[in-house]
Amino acid sequence: MASRTKQKEEARARRLAEERARAERARRDRRIRSTIGIVLAAVIIVAVGIIINSGGGGGGGGLQTGTKATATQAGVNSLLAGIPQSGNTLGNRKAPVTMTYYGDLKCPICKDFTVNGGFSQLVRNDVRSGKVKVVYDAFCTATCNGPDRSEFPLQQAAALAAGKQNKFWQFTELFYHEQGDEADAYVTESYLDGLARQVSGLNFAAWKTARNDPSLTTEVTSQQNAAGQIGVDATPTLIFKGPKGQTAIQSAATYAQVEQAVKQVS
Amino acid sequence: MTTAIANTSARYSTVDRRLKLAIGVLCLVGVGIGAYLTYVHYEGLKVLCLSSGGCETVQSSVYSKLAGIPVATLGLAGYIGIMISLAIRGEAGRAIGFALAIVGFLFSMYLTYREAFTIHAYCQWCLGSAFLMTLLAILTTIRMLRVEPEPVARTGKLVPRAERRRIERRQAARR
Repeated sequence: MASRTKQKEEARARRLAEERARAERARRDRRIRSTIGIVLAAVIIVAVGIIINSGGGGGGGGLQTGTKATATQAGVNSLLAGIPQSGNTLGNRKAPVTMTYYGDLKCPICKDFTVNGGFSQLVRNDVRSGKVKVVYDAFCTATCNGPDRSEFPLQQAAALAAGKQNKFWQFTELFYHEQGDEADAYVTESYLDGLARQVSGLNFAAWKTARNDPSLTTEVTSQQNAAGQIGVDATPTLIFKGPKGQTAIQSAATYAQVEQAVKQVS
Repeated sequence: MTTAIANTSARYSTVDRRLKLAIGVLCLVGVGIGAYLTYVHYEGLKVLCLSSGGCETVQSSVYSKLAGIPVATLGLAGYIGIMISLAIRGEAGRAIGFALAIVGFLFSMYLTYREAFTIHAYCQWCLGSAFLMTLLAILTTIRMLRVEPEPVARTGKLVPRAERRRIERRQAARR
């Protein structure tokens, strides 16, 4: 009798254990399914965030058209109007302070500095007054980390070709204003042509011919090598030289920072 | 057998309490970082940084904002959200905390990638926040995947559905 009761208890315990195990398995499966669902939803949310974040700086990137392009060209023309240019130099050649700007046209931080940072105010205040001149030298960063590093000599030489007509800075400013996503290989012939057509007063045919000059690519390479030799390793790197010496900034500097550097070497 | 089940249940509650505590502490540190960077951003102040200019370069980059909102502010909201999720009982709270931590972790990884390969500068605050988000993702995943033991009556009999729900509610309240 006792043995029969014991057997019954054992059977019940087994049933209980089995039911418990089944229920736990079901809950675990449900939990794993919810976890996978949440992870997938999170990946979609982050992907959307990344798309917004990547395009955030470029306003969609690529060439502008219509009234937006007209407004950008007007802004660039107004910024640079009346300031002397020679090749990649902006400002009075006899200016006491020289700011050498090491940049990469696809670098988003250079865009920050040029479009939203202290550069515009520096041009308006110090370059226009003849106190500072700016020399732009090429240094490959974003383009070399991007999908096609062969874009670098192409884009930088295109700017130098515009410099043959003293329009280097218009081309460079427009490039930064209409910069695309550095992760995209967007620097095509049609992109560069479209940009050149937006440069007011540029002789397009002469610019196209100048682009075929191999000395421009050689110049880009020598600028890159010279920058490497003096320890430049990021863009934008801004080196200020004046009567009181030299100082450097390596960021998308604000006007206050640039102004302080100018004062330090003046 | 019922004693073993009761012990498992108690152990589950203890571990869950510890996980919640660790998540709460990490969130508090994250709130501190997010609040500081948000304050600095809106006040236009210079970010305290160990490396020369790294933080300012990162904070002034195009990647520091998402649809016009500073990512530091989004991070702050994320940490607060995970903290609030700890106060929500049951599966919903665990799922919300887990979802926020995973989104935060993935986006932190993307931003760290941008620091390394695009901006070429590092911000210690951002790296610190990315580390916190990684820990939070691990802890919330553990919490999400742990299955609480099946409640049983002390008599050893299978518990009717209604009674089981009452027991679950009591257990959740204790946690």
